[in-house]
Amino acid sequence: MRTITLIGAIKEALAEEMRRDEDVFLVGQDVRGGIFPHTKGLIEEFGEERILDTPISESGMYGTAMGAAQEGMRPIVDFMFGGFSYVTFSECSVSTGQYHFLHGSQRSLPVVMTAGVGTGQRLANDHAMSIHGTFAHHPGIKVAMPSTPYDAKGLFKAAIRDNNPVMIPWHMGIMMLKGEVPEEDYMVPLGVADVKRQGSDVTVLANSVQLQNALKVADKLDGEISVEIIDPRSFVPFDMETLLTSLEKTNRLVVVDEDWESGGFASTISARVMEQGFDLLDAPVTRVCMPNMPVPGGYMEEYVAPNPDKIEAAIRNVCA
Amino acid sequence: MSLTKEQKLTLFTNLVRADLYDKMMYRRMMQGKLIGFYHPIEGGVAPGVGACTFLNKDDNLNPHHRGHGMAHMISKGIDVRTFLAEHTGKETGCCKGRSAFHFSYPDHKVYQMSGFIGHNFAPCVGWGYAAKRRAQGQVVMNCSGDGSYGQGRAHEAMLMAQNWKLPIIFFCENNGMSIFSTAKEMHPTENISSLAQGFGMPAVVVDGQDVFAVAEVALAAIADARKGKGPVFIECKTERFTEHDIGTPDLAGWEDRTPAQHEDMRKREPVNLATERVLADKTLTQARIDAIREAALKEIEEVEAFADASEIARPSEEELLANVFAP
Repeated sequence: MRTITLIGAIKEALAEEMRRDEDVFLVGQDVRGGIFPHTKGLIEEFGEERILDTPISESGMYGTAMGAAQEGMRPIVDFMFGGFSYVTFSECSVSTGQYHFLHGSQRSLPVVMTAGVGTGQRLANDHAMSIHGTFAHHPGIKVAMPSTPYDAKGLFKAAIRDNNPVMIPWHMGIMMLKGEVPEEDYMVPLGVADVKRQGSDVTVLANSVQLQNALKVADKLDGEISVEIIDPRSFVPFDMETLLTSLEKTNRLVVVDEDWESGGFASTISARVMEQGFDLLDAPVTRVCMPNMPVPGGYMEEYVAPNPDKIEAAIRNVCA
Repeated sequence: MSLTKEQKLTLFTNLVRADLYDKMMYRRMMQGKLIGFYHPIEGGVAPGVGACTFLNKDDNLNPHHRGHGMAHMISKGIDVRTFLAEHTGKETGCCKGRSAFHFSYPDHKVYQMSGFIGHNFAPCVGWGYAAKRRAQGQVVMNCSGDGSYGQGRAHEAMLMAQNWKLPIIFFCENNGMSIFSTAKEMHPTENISSLAQGFGMPAVVVDGQDVFAVAEVALAAIADARKGKGPVFIECKTERFTEHDIGTPDLAGWEDRTPAQHEDMRKREPVNLATERVLADKTLTQARIDAIREAALKEIEEVEAFADASEIARPSEEELLANVFAP
C-alpha cells in the first residue's frame, strides 16, 4: 500500500468529502494559501465560495461555520493553532455543545473543528497547548485525535459525516509522520479505540504523538515488560469497554496524555477505571501528563512534555 | 416607501398584540407563573414589530432578548403557544421544557436565543453566508440592543458581512440602557450606527417609537438586501420604560431613574402614538381598534390556556443523557 503523511491524509479526507458533498466547506484564516499543508491547493479545486479566508475574527469565523450548520450545511472550521479556538470559546464550546440538547433535540449542529496542537515546535503556551481535554470537559461535542495517517483520514471522514459537532485537533509533532493509507473511501468510527500493540503486563493508554512515543518505549522494553498500547482515537465518546477488556489481562494502567495534569482527560479516565474496574487493578493507575505550569517556549519545553523516558519510568514504576 | 393601508393595519395589530403579550408575561412573572426571569419590552415594542412583520418564513431572525423575543416572533408569524409552554417548564414547550428562555424555532429560522448577549453576531455571518450561497433572496434580520454592540463579535460580524456583501440587516434597538448602565456612558458617540461608517456600510437612524417609520425603513432595507446589495445598519431610538428585568432596581448608573425621566419618556408610548396616527389618517376607527385589542386578548388567553393545561416536563435522567448527541 502507498504511504503518505498524516497531514496529507487529512488533506485527502477534506478533499474527498468536499467532492462528495456540496454542503461541505472550509473556513479559516489563510487556509487558501495553506498556512498548514492540509489546506494548500484546495482553493484551486473548490474555489473561493467553499474555501473561505476570514479576517482575524475568530468569533465571526467560527460563527460562519455555526450559522451555516444551523442552515443545514456541513462546515469545517480551521483554527490554525488549537489555542486560538479559545478566542471564541463561548460559541465553539458552550453554545455549540448545548445547541442540540437545550433546544429540544430539534436540530443538530454538524460542525467540524480542527487545529494544530501540541509541543515540539518550542512555540510556548498559546501555540503549544492541548485542547482535547477542555473540549471533552464540556458536554455535547465529540472529540477525537489521530495518531496515525490511517486514522487521520478515517477519523476526519467520520467527523465530517457525523451529525454532531466534532473537535478533531492534530498534533504538530506527527504532522509529517508517514504511514499506509488506502486510496479508497473508509471511515474510522468515532468512539472506537484501537489496540495498537498487544501485550500482557501493562496497558498504556496514549494518543497522538504520545502514542508514537509509547510504541517506541514498548519496543525498547520488549522481552522485559510486555506492553499493550491502546489508542483511544476519540475522547468523546470514549471506548471504555476496550480499556477494561485490556485491564482484565494486564491489571495495570498507565495513562499518557499531553495535557495538564489537573482536570484533564487522564484524570477522567483514571477516575472511571477506579469506579468501573477497581477489582481489575493490581497497582494504582499512573498518569504521565504535563505539570500545571504554562507551557514554556524555547528549550524548556522538554521539562513539561511527556516523552519516552517519562513513559518508560511510569511503566517500570507501575510494574515494580 | 409609503405603507399601504393594509400594511398599516397589520403593523398596528402586531403592535397591540406585542404590547399585550408583554403585559401578560409581566403579570405571570409577578404571579410566579413563569420560570426564571422576564425582561419587559414595555416602551420598546415598536422596533421588533416594524422589523419583523414583513419578513418571509425563510428569512432568518434573531429576536432582541427584551420581551424574550415575543414581539419579534409573533410579528414573523410564529405560533408562540409552545414558547409560553417552554417558559413554564412544560413538556409541550418548543424545546421540550429543557431550555427555560433559550427558545428555538428552526422551522422559522429563529435558531437560538442565547444567554450570552451579543451571541447572535457570530452565527448571523453563517446565516448570511448560507443565504448568499443559495441565492434565493433570503435575508437575515439580526436584532439586538445598544449594549450588544459592545461585543467585539458585533464588529467582527459587520466587518465580515461587508467583506462578503451578505444580506444581513444589523438592527439595533437602542433604548439607551443596558441593565443600569447608559449608552451615553458606554458608547462614545450619540449613534451606535456611527460604527457602520467604519465598515463602509449604509446606516439609517429611525424613530423607534413610531412603528410605521421603523417598518418603512425596514422594508427598504429588506428589499435592498434581497437584491444582493449587502448589509445595512438600522438604529432605532427607543425606550425601556421598566427596570431591566423584573426584580432588579430601576437605576441609571447607581441612582434611581427619576419620576421626571419616566414622565418624559412615557410621553411617547408607541401604542398610543400609533393609535393617534391610525385614527387621524382614518386607517382605523375606534371600534375597529377595540376589536383588534379584544382579538389579541383572546389569542393570549388561548396561549396561556395551552401552557397551563400542559404537563410539567420531567423526563428521566437517562432520557436526557440520550439526547446530548444527535443520532
